[in-house]
Amino acid sequence: MAPKGKKGATKSNKAEEEHDEPLQAVVLADSFEQRFEPFTIEKPRCLLTLANTPLIEYTLEFLAGSGVEEVYLYSSNHTDQVEDYLNHSRWTQETSPFSLEIIRSTSTSIGDCMRDLDQKQLIKGDFICVYGDVVANISLEGALAMHKARREKNKNAIMTMVLREAGDYHRTKSQHMRRCFVIDAETQRCVHYEQVRPRDSPRLNIPEEVLKDHVEIDVREDLIDCGIDICTPDVLAQWSDSFDWKMPRRDFLHGVLQDYETFQRTIHAHVVSEGYAARVNNLRAYDAVSRDAVSRWTYPLVPDCNLLSDQTYHMSKGVVYKEESVMLARSSLVGKKTVLGKATSLGEGTVVNNSIIGRRCVIGKRVQMDGAYVWDDARIGDDSVINGAIIADGVSVGKKCHVKRGALLSYGVSVADGTTISENTRVTRRKRKRGYDSDDVVHGVTDPKVVGKGGEGFELELDMEEEDVLEALMAGIQHTDLTEDGDYSDFQYEDEEDMAQEHAHDMTSRSGSFGSVGSEESGETRRNAADFHHEASNSIFDSLQKGHDPDNIQLELKALRMSSNAGDSQVRRAVAVAFSKRIANLVEAGKSPKDAVAEAISPNQRLVRACVKAVEEQAEFMLFLQTDLVHRPQGSKTLLFASNTLATQDLVEAEGFEQWWEDERSSASEDLRAVRAETKQLVDVLVGDDDEEDEDDDDDED
Amino acid sequence: MPATTIPQTPSLSTYLKSLKHNDIETSIELFISLLKRRQIKNSRPCAIATTHLLLHVVAAERIRDASKLIQHVRDVGRRLVAAQPREMAVGNIVRRVLGVIREVAEEDQDAAGGTPLSPPTPLTPVPGETLQRPPLPTKMSEFSPLHGAAALPQDLLATAASSTQDWQSEDAAQRPLLPGSSTSYAGQPPSVTSLFSILQQPAGRSPFATPPTASQSPLIKPVPQTHDDEVKEKLDIKAEVINGIQELQDELDVVDTQIAESALDHIHSNEIILTHTSSQTVQRFLATAARKRKFTVVHAEAYPNDHEATHATIVNGGKKGSGEDEEGGDERWKPLTSMGITVILIPDSAVFALMSRINKVIMAPHTVLANGSLLAAAGAATIAQAAKHHRVPVVVLSGVYKLSPVYPFATDDLIEYGDPSKVVGFEEGEFMEKVDVVNPIYDWVDSELVDLYITNLGGCAPSFLYRIVADHYRVEDIDLSAK
Repeated sequence: MAPKGKKGATKSNKAEEEHDEPLQAVVLADSFEQRFEPFTIEKPRCLLTLANTPLIEYTLEFLAGSGVEEVYLYSSNHTDQVEDYLNHSRWTQETSPFSLEIIRSTSTSIGDCMRDLDQKQLIKGDFICVYGDVVANISLEGALAMHKARREKNKNAIMTMVLREAGDYHRTKSQHMRRCFVIDAETQRCVHYEQVRPRDSPRLNIPEEVLKDHVEIDVREDLIDCGIDICTPDVLAQWSDSFDWKMPRRDFLHGVLQDYETFQRTIHAHVVSEGYAARVNNLRAYDAVSRDAVSRWTYPLVPDCNLLSDQTYHMSKGVVYKEESVMLARSSLVGKKTVLGKATSLGEGTVVNNSIIGRRCVIGKRVQMDGAYVWDDARIGDDSVINGAIIADGVSVGKKCHVKRGALLSYGVSVADGTTISENTRVTRRKRKRGYDSDDVVHGVTDPKVVGKGGEGFELELDMEEEDVLEALMAGIQHTDLTEDGDYSDFQYEDEEDMAQEHAHDMTSRSGSFGSVGSEESGETRRNAADFHHEASNSIFDSLQKGHDPDNIQLELKALRMSSNAGDSQVRRAVAVAFSKRIANLVEAGKSPKDAVAEAISPNQRLVRACVKAVEEQAEFMLFLQTDLVHRPQGSKTLLFASNTLATQDLVEAEGFEQWWEDERSSASEDLRAVRAETKQLVDVLVGDDDEEDEDDDDDED
Repeated sequence: MPATTIPQTPSLSTYLKSLKHNDIETSIELFISLLKRRQIKNSRPCAIATTHLLLHVVAAERIRDASKLIQHVRDVGRRLVAAQPREMAVGNIVRRVLGVIREVAEEDQDAAGGTPLSPPTPLTPVPGETLQRPPLPTKMSEFSPLHGAAALPQDLLATAASSTQDWQSEDAAQRPLLPGSSTSYAGQPPSVTSLFSILQQPAGRSPFATPPTASQSPLIKPVPQTHDDEVKEKLDIKAEVINGIQELQDELDVVDTQIAESALDHIHSNEIILTHTSSQTVQRFLATAARKRKFTVVHAEAYPNDHEATHATIVNGGKKGSGEDEEGGDERWKPLTSMGITVILIPDSAVFALMSRINKVIMAPHTVLANGSLLAAAGAATIAQAAKHHRVPVVVLSGVYKLSPVYPFATDDLIEYGDPSKVVGFEEGEFMEKVDVVNPIYDWVDSELVDLYITNLGGCAPSFLYRIVADHYRVEDIDLSAK
């Protein structure tokens, strides 16, 4: 009713022409995370194929179906590929239903994108913000209407989140992290948001005012957060105001809700109970959404809708989708829920069930496939068995191989005859060279243990996991959650926001003794801590690699520390981790540990000195260094040389070493003991010296 | 629409609006994506959109050469059909338009050559469909067009190219008149004729829209495929074709009224009629009968794809939210109940139990196929089977635009599978994880289960449909995918 003039509130002269105001959308093609590694090392996530169609097609099709007229696509990773793909797609043709603009950015988080968008002033009115991996067929008409109606009444209603109702347990819902939305039943206002880890005590920390102000609230955990937000330009302003926000939920939503008392800005939830909406944000979701698409829950975005103009899928009985010129041997058996791309051939006696196979694949004889995802141009040798694995473009699997559940074979990997790829292994040919510029992708060294003799590829270790284990080890408690997850889910996966949360969680619950991160602190601080650690260690590492002046690094660190209010202990940890990373990096590049240590630490003494002054601090620094080195190649050697250097440079005093050595945390586990074994001699010598010099030291300190 | 600022979800109405300011290629692409996204679905919206689109295509065409125009329309048609092969109305309309162009071209040629319009081809009905069946297609869009069943034998056609004029002059008396021979069912030959000819009158010399009745000679005749040499300005081909397409649009507008004309011949007092889905055609038909007679309607709700529309139709009448109310001119009508008709809503499962009490089943198809079988909303097959069991006559109301020359070789492939969440909610995570749910949107009903088709040309038996196909579609156009 009387929609005229509603826009006048936000943009002055818009009131008259508002009817002509195009509906805009922002697609965040980047995920700023590594959950699809090893695949995302070589290809952007939005171009990965789901049911043989690139993910971005689903997203753009959804936007086109909602009547969007202008789309801005943010891409910062593999932008060339994204551009190349889109420039050849129908979305940039004359006939495209909307104008598409690709924005290259150097953002490292969603927050950066949003702030950049605000600066560019491209957004004129309300817009839809989605990720480049959304698969949805819901109609946004209702949500948009509600949003407009609310805006009219109250211009502080800045955002509407579209959430899909799903039951208690749902394959498409994230099981890793339960997202709880507390929604006012009457106004649909989201009044509180929290993420709860599974198997944690399901306790929400709902602020008192919420309970006081709202007569009726729904606490909902059964919602799929598909990342579709209808935002007003005000949202961008909010992002710009808080320069440290990164995640749309964890930071933005939380931040706005917290500031409600001050600014009265509200965020609403639109819960849809019809249609399909999900994000392919981890491998588990990839599996779930693929299955949803094949069993037509995403209708009409199903394979035989042939989203791409060159597709010719045709569905036949038993939910089998076949493209033209698929060759099936007479005795091969194509079971239900299978997709076969153009010119793919199946050999005699091959049985395929619940699988998606791309184009031009050659599947040998008597192959058994169940729940497999095979992309284009793969070859599978005779008598192989493939269960629930993802096999990327151009992979070749030899004869009599067994690829087990959750295995990921990245581009061009070749597996020799008779090899078994064990569960949840990530095999790749390339890896991302440690560095913040993700561009340096290098070929790794083939590991015959993984791919067999004559194969090509090695197992990829994830940084995320490494750091996870690190957290666990530090506390001396075996961290079991991840492995359990692996058991009950088909694929190992992590969730970007969840991940960070997890770190924070670990830190508080298990390492409260480590300085400032007390367990009684609010969730906000915990998150900040995790953020800080990531950011700080990465930036130091980056600077070390580029050989920046230590003073500058120090300055940067200080600024970062101020902005996130981090404690000294966190700074130490960040520095220790960064150094260890840098050394490991050098070692990998072929340097001996000794040289590596010399190169990394010597020019940057001041940096270390600044953060380790007292004896306790030195001990703690050593402890951090030790725990981080547990996972690095040649960790024990590195530790020895590092200790030596630190001692000779007088960065760590003998008492520091002694305290560290005696600290029970430094010998809490097998790995830790192993890593420090080689350093024992050095410590003994140092501590021995120390006794004699005791008096002097005392004098000095006074 | 409550707020004008809300950009509408694309649909038929927005599409028709956009046609005016978009260029042709954009419009075609847009229509293709709307078809793919199922934002335009069901026969009538598809047919309407196709006619509008082709009108623009022809209007924008510069070439005055008929054969090029045919080629162009054919190309467009092929793309449209490939986008959603199961919406056969699209293909039907494309074929009709192609027929119009060919006809104009011939007329032009005739006018140029000074040959008077000769009576159309002699038709020797070939009932056996086995005659020249084309090789089995590999995909659905190539579904074997009814070459054999079409009244023009292939060889005749082949020779036709060279010797058109010779046999054109043969006696046309063999040609059976359409409506007259079609009354296998107890009803009278319907009185559409008069109305129909009235409609056709202003069209003057190009009555392409529907091959008319006895008075006018249907201009169906085979034609050489090449017209390169006869682009004479005697007739403005473009204008004529546009006229023809507009007549098609008119036909789509009045098709329901025409079908409803014969309602009184089929519905008698105190009958109990069973119907299915929220079809506008059926409602119109029943409403027309209800003005004069009292009867009872048993309405199966067509769960899960159409039940909401069905409920709305029963309660409110008219049409809601099915994309057809935007036609503007169409008046909304009151529900049957307000006319004193008892309407009983039943679930689909109760059909068999009630069938023994039913006098007549009236259905509206999605598509009618050349052999007299049909595709209709899921549940139709059950109803037809139950009717067969109880010997209840099944009457199908279908506009000619739904009649497709496609022959159903693999009926499974014709059926579209929809969104299973209408059967089991997406929320039921555990259920959907373990159970495969399918939601077929259509049912295929064999021709032997249908007793009578009522088209806008009148009633006819399923076995006679091939004639209507032959009258409406050129053999050359039946297989659109062929070059």
